[in-house]
This record gives sequence, C-alpha cells and structure tokens, in this order.
Amino acid sequence: MHSHLSTNKLPRVLESDRTPIQLTHHPSFGLLTRLLFLAILFAAELLVISVWLDNAALVARGGLIGFIGGWGAWTVRGIVGFAVIFLTFAYLKSGTALTQISRQAAQIPVSRGFLAAHLFAMVTFGSLSWALYGNHTAPFFANLSALIWLVGGASGITFGAFSLIPFTLWVRLVRETGWLSAYALLAVGSACAVGSCSQALWKPAVNLTFSLVKGFLGPFVSGIVADPATMNLGTTKFSVEIAPQCSGFEGVGLILAFGVVWLWLFRRECRFPQALILIPAGVAGIYLLNAMRIAALILIGNAGAQQIALGGFHSQAGWMAFNVVALGFSIAARRIPWLTTREQPAKKLRARSSDNPTATYLLPFLSIIIAGMAAQAVSGDFEWLYPLRFLAAAGVLWILRRKYAGLDWKFGWFGPAIGILVFAMWIAIDSWLNSASNDAMPQALIDASAPIRMTWIVFRTLSAVITVPIAEELAFRGFVLRRVISPDFEALPLQSFTWMGLGISSVAFGLLHGNLWFAGILAGLLYAWTLIRRGRIGDAVAAHATTNALLAGYVLIFHKWHLWL
Amino acid sequence: MEKLLGMMFLLIGVSAVAMATVPEIGVGSAGSAIALLTGTLLVIRGRKK
Repeated sequence: MHSHLSTNKLPRVLESDRTPIQLTHHPSFGLLTRLLFLAILFAAELLVISVWLDNAALVARGGLIGFIGGWGAWTVRGIVGFAVIFLTFAYLKSGTALTQISRQAAQIPVSRGFLAAHLFAMVTFGSLSWALYGNHTAPFFANLSALIWLVGGASGITFGAFSLIPFTLWVRLVRETGWLSAYALLAVGSACAVGSCSQALWKPAVNLTFSLVKGFLGPFVSGIVADPATMNLGTTKFSVEIAPQCSGFEGVGLILAFGVVWLWLFRRECRFPQALILIPAGVAGIYLLNAMRIAALILIGNAGAQQIALGGFHSQAGWMAFNVVALGFSIAARRIPWLTTREQPAKKLRARSSDNPTATYLLPFLSIIIAGMAAQAVSGDFEWLYPLRFLAAAGVLWILRRKYAGLDWKFGWFGPAIGILVFAMWIAIDSWLNSASNDAMPQALIDASAPIRMTWIVFRTLSAVITVPIAEELAFRGFVLRRVISPDFEALPLQSFTWMGLGISSVAFGLLHGNLWFAGILAGLLYAWTLIRRGRIGDAVAAHATTNALLAGYVLIFHKWHLWL
Repeated sequence: MEKLLGMMFLLIGVSAVAMATVPEIGVGSAGSAIALLTGTLLVIRGRKK
C-alpha cells in the first residue's frame, strides 16, 4: 500500500477492492473481484450464445419455442440491465454495507462444487441449443426440450453466481440494499416495455418532425416537394422518406435518461424546482436538432453530395446532436446560478485554475473521437478524411508535449511481447466472429490514384501505430486506471492497482471495439497488466503499438480489410 | 467519477435498446459518442480548484 494514500481518504468504501495494492502482495478476493470474475465468465458465455443462436429461427414455431424466439433477446437484455442497474446503484448508495459483505466474501473460498454444476448446466444448455435451434427434435418432444433448455440456462446462471458468491451473501446483499432490487426490476421492466412499444409512438411523432423539417427547409430552397401521405420530403433533385424511426424519439429517450439520472445524482448541486426545467428544455432541444439534421441532410443531398447525406452524415449527425444537448444540459446545470447551488468562481480565479491533469490525459483521445465523427459525417461509403484523426491527435500531443515530459516513455521487451500475445488473441477471436466479413480492399480505395491510395494507407498505419496507442494508453491506463482510486490520480504511481480500476478501464476500452468488445476487454486487461508490472507508460504504449503494427501488416499483407473499416 | 460512470452505464443500456429498434444506429458510433460525452464531462469536472 502506498503511504500517502490512507484508506480513510478514499471517497468510497469497498476497501479490499479499491485500496491500491502492489502485485507482489497477495490480492484480496473481495466482493467486487468476484463480481468482476462472474461478469467475465457470463460475458464470455453470452458472447458464444449470441454468435451461435439466432432467435429469428424460432419465432415462426409455436408453443414455448415460439415464445423463446419472441422474448429471448428481451429477457437477456432485461437480465443484463437489472444486473448493471442494481450493482451500479448498490455501489453508489450502499458502500458501507458492501464493504462488510466484501470482507466476509474474502474469507470464503470459491465453491468448486457449484462451479462444476455450472459447467454441467452449460454443457446441457449447449447440447439442447443444438437440438432446439437446429430443429433436430421430434415435434412431440420439442416443447419439453425447450423447457429443459430454459431450466438448464437458468440453472447455469444460478450455479455460476453461487460458485463465487454464496447464497447467504446474495441474500444479505439484497437485504442490505433495501428496495433497490425492486426499483431495478421496475426500471428494467419499464425500459423493455417502452422499447418494445415505442414503435406505436413513432407515427404521431413523425408527423411533427415532417412539419418542422419542411419549415426549416423553407428559407433555403424553393419548390419543396412534400407528400405527408408517403412522408416524402425534399426538392425536385433530392428527397427522402422520413421513416417513423427517424422521428427523433430515440434521441428524446436518451436525453430523458441522461437528464433524469443527472438531476438525481447531482441533486445537491441543483436548485429545485428550477432545475427541472432542464428536462423539457433538453427534450425540445434534441427534437429540434433532429429535425434540423434531416433538413441539413436534404440540403446536402440537394447540393449533389447524396452519398454523404445518406451515408456518414445520416448516422453521425444524430450523435453529435445528442452530445451537444447533453453537454449543454450539464453546463447549464453547473453554471447558471438560477439552476445551481454551487458557488460560481470569480473570473480571475477561474482563469488561474486552468491546470487540469484530466485534460492532459484525455484530450488526445477525445481529439481522435471528434476528428473521427467529423470525418465520418462528411464521408459517403468510405472515410477519405481518416488522416484527420492522426493530425488531430498529433496536434494535441505536440501542444501538450511539455506535460508529458515527466512520464517514463522507455520500454523493454515485455511490452512488445504482450503486444504479440494480444495480436494472436485478437486474430483468433476475429476469425471466429467475423469469418464471413468482406476482406477486400474498399472499392473507393481501389479506384483512387496510387498516390492518394498510398497517402491514405500511410496515415491509417501511422495512426494505428503511433497516435492511437499513445492516446488510448494515456486515457485508459494512465487516467482511468488511477482515477478510479483517487481524484488526485497524478499523485499515485502508475503501478497502483485495484480490481475496480482494472475492470472499469478494460471494460470501457473493450466497449469501444464494436463486435470485438470481448477481445477489447482482454486486450485492455493485458495492457493494464503491462503498465502495472513495469510501471512505465512506455511499456503499455509499446504493447499497444506492437499489436496495432502487426494488425496493420496483417490487413495489408493478407487483405483482411474488415479489421480496418 | 463514480456518478458519471453510473450514468454512462445507464446510457449504454438505453442506447442498446435504441439500437435494437433502429438498425441505422451503429454500435461503433454509439460507443464513440458516449465516450466523447463521458470524457468531456470528466475534463469539465476535472479542473483543479
């Protein structure tokens, strides 16, 4: 343990999981560690199931099998959602109780009996899945097989949960968190119901969107073509059908979720009831921006860039609008004196408080995301402006270069060795998940002149090997891994280790890698291990850069272009 | 940090529901957008006082 970080200075509890430890110490397997192992076990099994099984094949069949086909995916979403909500809020609100449970859990060994029962149940579940989804069962036994299949899956989850955390501790966890389990169940039930019923609300919403878009187009183009019956709207040169799912309802749902949770979590900073006005303001803001997005899309198409309008702009502009409204919401909630109880710093003081270590570690990564969203928004079927990502990150790293001078950028053999291991793992998982992917070089790149093609490939490779590893290692390993332990994260050495930090940084890193999220989590764990073991950011960057360099070679030599697109 | 992370987990859940009903919403763009929002909020709240 580091002498300058006493336990009583930690903002929250779960000491056995949150207190930084050195790898040379024997780690304490408290509640959080066990939950992390359980999450990894279930995530791996869920990954196999989701790749292997296709519920659409069951929907047409009647009885219990048809019911599974129709509700199976919603049930899985519900279970995952309940677990996430319950554990997140249990951690936020019942820290003291969790600490006691964690200490108790650390003294109890993992139950090998329940672990064996879990494996047996999952093997049964897998065998019956083959029969059920492959339609290998006789009609008479089909529903009975489906029932045993359901029992097998439920038993697998239960035995797995009991193998790491005994029944008595689960009971205590539910009891100590009061009504939280009921609230989480209610929240998940409502979310699933709203999600499945929201299509009924699309029709009235799309009529309003149609009128707004028509109004926004008026000042910019003459001869608007508008047919409310078919929802076709545009000009004589370019028009679109405003589909019900483009009504803006999803954006409203996201802002509602963001706004309600923000006001609840930061309720001490908010001045009520005035702050409640932010909710309708946010909803109105996202709805108007969605209509503006569709109007802009039509104007871009009308100007001749139809591929851009229907390609990158269509998918990126919605997320940009959401970020603008959500950030506007949070800034208004903190800065407008009428809405907040926070004391506003004087202007001079604010100017002097520009030292922001969080920005130092996160800005290169954020610059890549912003450049990527902008580049995709102005792209058709191919992201020609990918070099923007490299230039943006290189620019930020150059501007902040003095701030990074104190970090140790040296590296030894260990980092590249881990990089090779991650590369092998990545290729193995990708080959399994994406065997049917299109591996050919994109047609746009083939059709380009040789200098343009080479320039794009050079910038894509430089980005993968230099700026992305530096930016992502600074953000996930340099910042998140330590920021979870203490707000004053820079005061902690890079070797500081907690299971919480390891889990959060690796899961967040993995979620950014699309359908290779599981490979991303494993890669995050290995890069974090590299940093913790060697204590130098240079080793983690070297590991990441080695993986990306090998992947670049793999893409270019073996024509596996899906890995880059 | 804990509050922001809790909020972002919920947002990921809501966007997962949105992605299930609106196939045009890409998983990659959703992840980038939520990462950008989380990172920007952390930078805003991370200024030393």
